[in-house]
Amino acid sequence: MPPANGGYMVAAYVAAGVIYLAYSVWLYWRSRDR
Amino acid sequence: MTAIPSAERALKRGGILMAIGLAAVAVVYVRALVFTPEEATQGLAQKIFYIHVPSAWVALYLAYAIVGIFSVLYLLLKDPRLDLVASSSAEVGTVFATVVLITGPIWGKTVWGTWWTWDARLTSTLFLYFIYLAYLVLRSAVEEPGRRARYCAVLGILGALLVPFIHMTVYLFRTLHPMPVVLQPGRPQLPGSMLITLLSSFVAFTVFYAGLLARRYAWARLRAARAQEEADASR
Amino acid sequence: MGEVLAQAWAIAAKDLLLEFRSRTAFLSALVFTALVLAIFNFARDPTAVSSVDLAPSVLWITFSFAGVLGLNRAFGLEKENRAIDGLLLSPASRTALFLGKTLANLVFVGAVEAIALPLFALFFNVPLLEILGPLVLVIALATVGFVTVGTLMSSMAVNTRFGEMMLLVLVLPFLLTPVSTAAEMTARLFAHRPFAEWAPWLKLLAAYDIAFVVLCTLVFEFTLEE
Repeated sequence: MPPANGGYMVAAYVAAGVIYLAYSVWLYWRSRDR
Repeated sequence: MTAIPSAERALKRGGILMAIGLAAVAVVYVRALVFTPEEATQGLAQKIFYIHVPSAWVALYLAYAIVGIFSVLYLLLKDPRLDLVASSSAEVGTVFATVVLITGPIWGKTVWGTWWTWDARLTSTLFLYFIYLAYLVLRSAVEEPGRRARYCAVLGILGALLVPFIHMTVYLFRTLHPMPVVLQPGRPQLPGSMLITLLSSFVAFTVFYAGLLARRYAWARLRAARAQEEADASR
Repeated sequence: MGEVLAQAWAIAAKDLLLEFRSRTAFLSALVFTALVLAIFNFARDPTAVSSVDLAPSVLWITFSFAGVLGLNRAFGLEKENRAIDGLLLSPASRTALFLGKTLANLVFVGAVEAIALPLFALFFNVPLLEILGPLVLVIALATVGFVTVGTLMSSMAVNTRFGEMMLLVLVLPFLLTPVSTAAEMTARLFAHRPFAEWAPWLKLLAAYDIAFVVLCTLVFEFTLEE
């Protein structure tokens, strides 16, 4: 019976996703023909 | 002036590659979360591995190798575009390293029972992170572009030489110190489906890095070209 | 080659003479060292952890901080009045300039260490005499490691907005190998472990020193203006 650590998985996936998405959006916006 | 239109085209291309990379990462998310089986002993948290390991590959090896190589090339050839590639890779690499240092401890907590141990990969990433931060701080601390490029290239090269020493130092401590080993979150024997997820994740994150690098570099080139044009016009 | 060494020595001598005359940096490093040792001694609970366990870490924290204090002064001397131009116009080669600066820093940090070590033995009641030879070797190798990189970084940091904080930020990642391997070897020496046990760390530290002395000497010229 594996341990119930789905919460950690969600936290990590969300944290990574937010960081990558935030940087992508910031980069795209700031570099938009300035 | 051909520099600006060419940089603008590069910016567009970078944007497209970025979008492709982001889409690829999204596909990996779905595959890892929904279509990959749960590991029998570690539970769902083991799936963090599919984000953590490819991000570490990009941050520790790919992005920093680019910084190192282009730093050497800049000092040898003096072309400012080489410096722009190096600094773009440093910035993007820092983003990936941040993800490694956040996902690592979260995963580690489930495996080791503690947020941090001086695990080989995490420790190496931490010190590389210090190099990345030093690079970015140095970049912001020097105004004059020529000197800024030179100084960052020097740091980039020294950092590149440091990376193998960090690995060796950590390795020595790992092998010659008895460390509490609960479970090894390293390379488990991967059945087919998991292996495919991992490999496709490597590809997706590499493409994503390439897209971010392309966009970041194109932007840097555009700003440099505009600054050059302004400087020429005011003569 | 002999020419380069002679020039390096001349540059080092000049720096050391200036430092000896003012003595401010040296004295601050010493005061800092005594302070760290005293605080560690009073702050710890003597019944909790035996002092020999803590001793290597305390020693190396002290040495690293005193070292960085010393490095701050390395190129600061020439910052005023752009005296660096005088050095660059002189017949001395870039390599000689770097080696001379590094040598001066080594002597400076070495002097602080030479005074701190017996103070340390006094405060922590650690018998040093039996292991003094190997201990001095370890200290010397680690010091060469971080002073060489620190001198190079100093020549850049002095020209940036953040100055001394910049030096710390630049040097920090490069402290891992010298300081951790030295602390590890120091711990083994205090426990009178056989050489074979700490030999791997010695090799790593020696390799680090060779690699970085060569690289820093090679890239130094890129930290100077044309």
